[in-house]
Amino acid sequence: MPENYIEIENLRKTYDGKKYALDGLTFNTGKGEIYGLLGKNGAGKSTSIKIMTTLIGFNSGKGTVAGYDIVKEAAKIRKCIGVVQQEESYDFATVENNFKLAGLLWEVGREERDSRMNELIDLFGLDEIRKKRMFDLSGGQKKRVQVAREFMHDMKVIFLDEPTVGLDPIMRRKILDYIRQKANKGLTVLFTTQNLEEADMICDRIGIINNGMIVEEGTSSQLKNKYGNLRTLTIWAGDESMLSKEQVQNIFSDLSFDQLEVKENVITIITKNLEKNLGKIMSLLSANNIQVERINVENPTLDDVFIKVVQK
Amino acid sequence: MKIPAFLRLTIRNVVVNTDMGTMIFMLGLPTLYLFVMGFMFQGIVPTGLQIKQNGLDIPYTTFLAPGIIALQSFTAGNIGGGMLWSDRRWGMFEQIMVGPFRRFEYLLGIICVSIFFAIVGSLIMLAFALAIPVSFNYNLIGVLSFLVTIVMGTILFSSLFLIISGIAKSMQAYQTITIVLFFLLDFASTSFYNITSSTPVWLVYIADINPLTYISNILRDSFIYGVNYQTFTSMGIIFAGMVVLFAISMRVYRNIRSGI
Repeated sequence: MPENYIEIENLRKTYDGKKYALDGLTFNTGKGEIYGLLGKNGAGKSTSIKIMTTLIGFNSGKGTVAGYDIVKEAAKIRKCIGVVQQEESYDFATVENNFKLAGLLWEVGREERDSRMNELIDLFGLDEIRKKRMFDLSGGQKKRVQVAREFMHDMKVIFLDEPTVGLDPIMRRKILDYIRQKANKGLTVLFTTQNLEEADMICDRIGIINNGMIVEEGTSSQLKNKYGNLRTLTIWAGDESMLSKEQVQNIFSDLSFDQLEVKENVITIITKNLEKNLGKIMSLLSANNIQVERINVENPTLDDVFIKVVQK
Repeated sequence: MKIPAFLRLTIRNVVVNTDMGTMIFMLGLPTLYLFVMGFMFQGIVPTGLQIKQNGLDIPYTTFLAPGIIALQSFTAGNIGGGMLWSDRRWGMFEQIMVGPFRRFEYLLGIICVSIFFAIVGSLIMLAFALAIPVSFNYNLIGVLSFLVTIVMGTILFSSLFLIISGIAKSMQAYQTITIVLFFLLDFASTSFYNITSSTPVWLVYIADINPLTYISNILRDSFIYGVNYQTFTSMGIIFAGMVVLFAISMRVYRNIRSGI
């Protein structure tokens, strides 16, 4: 059994020969781990999934999935993975037939097929629409079928490319819980999302991908601790204080912040040294006759970590 | 029992395509042609429209029936080859390609479902034709040449639609090309009428390069006039067309990237 269930080393991929969609992507996951790949649009998340699932080639680097080489043993990889694509994918058939066909394609025996289908239909709340044709379903219903259908077969690794987009919070939570259960039983999960809250909730480790490479990696708490001194101070100035960014920048010209935003009479400061600078900030505002109505200090969220990391 | 990958894909293709719309396109339309066109044209001439060809006068309905059966190869090829397009359009091509399948197995699944639909459709049309009734002559060579031609014709048309599926970039483009081809190939062939000295030359040229002309002629030979030297020549032309189009479709198919 390989120590790392997915092992990707220095992958590079260009579509046009000029810009690299992946530019030295390196990461690994253990068995039964849920690894979250976070990144903004076009960061390389879907490209990396397409390479790992052997759908497209790459220019350089190497990798293994479930111990199989992604180039030389592509057919073996495809027999032991599941993939939920970001885009819609379904057969022009009823919901039930989509499950049955998935079972047929993956050689699940007829009895097993029916029992798994019923279990998944029940679990994913699809009973009312089981006889409906896919065309007649809403986007969220189609997505539920797409995710549920993938669990018709046994697999070692599942790649989930933004699987909860378009789902309501209850269903999103149900799906995440189901994925967690599967991971607890040994399924390795590679999960991409832009919803940092759900990544925080479900992922054992998170890799933040930017410009085709992992720029930060760790557990959610590790990342937050790493950027833990980064706090957000929000100051509401009095209503009569219409502020401009230049004006506020001038006031704080002696101080250095990671981020400074001004919107009408609200100043947002993201800084590492808030405790040290808070008194100075308040004095400067007072000295410049800016009346402070209210302040709020927030500890870092994964959103902050993400923003900080991709803006580095 | 372990079912080979291409057969699993074929079964999936059959299930996905046995919807009302596809069935009407595959069986309903040709049935309407057979009965409505057959009887309407037959009724144009008070004594009954006769088609004179190969030294024989035959009723129009008897002439028409092999042409309608020949259409099945075109329709089934359209359904099969078009599957690639709809699978690309609706994400299933990519989904299947990350499953336990190789590219050639997917292709084989398409060819097999086309042949399956063509043979079943042809037999149903044959049964309808017999109900008209038409007077066909049956012999082993005729039946064999009918089956071989339907299979070759289906592979030819599947390849043609695979090529279109591979190069079409939008639903509008795909549908426009398909509709134009449908009318051109169906009606500028000898499926519905024979070529006479009154046929405009440009239409004769189109009919001469239209595979459906040769398939219709072969089926008429198989069921009416008897298999002869000309039949084998036509089969050779269909075979050559099939090989060429299949080779081109392979080239297009190899270069297809998933998604549209």
